[in-house]
Amino acid sequence: MFIIVRETGEKAQVQIERVTINELKSFRKNKFWFDWKTEVSNEVYKLITADSNVQGLISLIPVEGEQRIQINLLCVAKENRGSQGKYRNVAGVLIAYTCRLALKNYGIRGCVSLVPKTTLKEHYIKRYGMLDAGKQVFLEGASLIRIINRYAL
Amino acid sequence: MKSTKLKHKYTDAELADSFVFRTKISSKDRQSMDVDLAAARKKVQAKTSVKDQYYAELLRLRFLMEDEIRTSAFNENNSFTSFLRKYIKLSYKAYKDFALDIGLNVTELSQILNNHRAPSDNTIIRLELHSSNFIPAKIWFRLLEKERLNKLDNDMLIREREAKYVKRKLKL
Repeated sequence: MFIIVRETGEKAQVQIERVTINELKSFRKNKFWFDWKTEVSNEVYKLITADSNVQGLISLIPVEGEQRIQINLLCVAKENRGSQGKYRNVAGVLIAYTCRLALKNYGIRGCVSLVPKTTLKEHYIKRYGMLDAGKQVFLEGASLIRIINRYAL
Repeated sequence: MKSTKLKHKYTDAELADSFVFRTKISSKDRQSMDVDLAAARKKVQAKTSVKDQYYAELLRLRFLMEDEIRTSAFNENNSFTSFLRKYIKLSYKAYKDFALDIGLNVTELSQILNNHRAPSDNTIIRLELHSSNFIPAKIWFRLLEKERLNKLDNDMLIREREAKYVKRKLKL
């Protein structure tokens, strides 16, 4: 998997790893916006570049019995946000990784969902091909496969 | 930190590209939202094509293989032959038809599947070609290497047998 250096268009290889409970304390609000210690009971993953710098975080809640993973929180590191950010596609790769987990664990019936802020719903649909389920948006079937193909292969 | 601060700095598109925010939902709202989601999912599931189902299973197999390579512990259920059987069963009812399609003798395939014979490099390349490079040779190869390493690690007999050939061992 890779993200893109905005300035040059070069690809930067990345790894996604599970975050330990101790590591959660190290993610400061000035860089990662949220208090990540609150996600201690969820599965938190970090996206890191070859220099071991964390470029983004995602907190997941597997919804047992529904073959679904809910994205509870996602945050791209401050230096990657906006039109002048250092790296592009960080969020896309994190979402695609979640889709990979869902597919691996649940097969074609795997689903990834999130509850968007009202003002952002259409952007998730447009940017990531998410499907409309009223107050939630989700990826499943062809839409889930598409995002994996786009960001995680 | 309030997300309104971010709205002054970024457009909605930029926010969606950088965040998923926590949303407070009552349990009553959560119930009705999940009912809507289940209904929307059912529609999607009904429209999922056979082609997409097949591709999803192939992707899943590849992800399982990739993750197995990354772990250090050896799992008998995730061996080379175990994955090969799963790969074949995705598209074939009979192993002999697969053997025909990769130009392998049925007996040789049977020996590989029953761990009586290791696959040759040629066979591994044919597996890659058969999958149209979707599962590259290096994935099959690394699975084999992991199995081989596990066998070597646990083979005490070979160490006893080979000890007589080794003189002037390092004194550490």
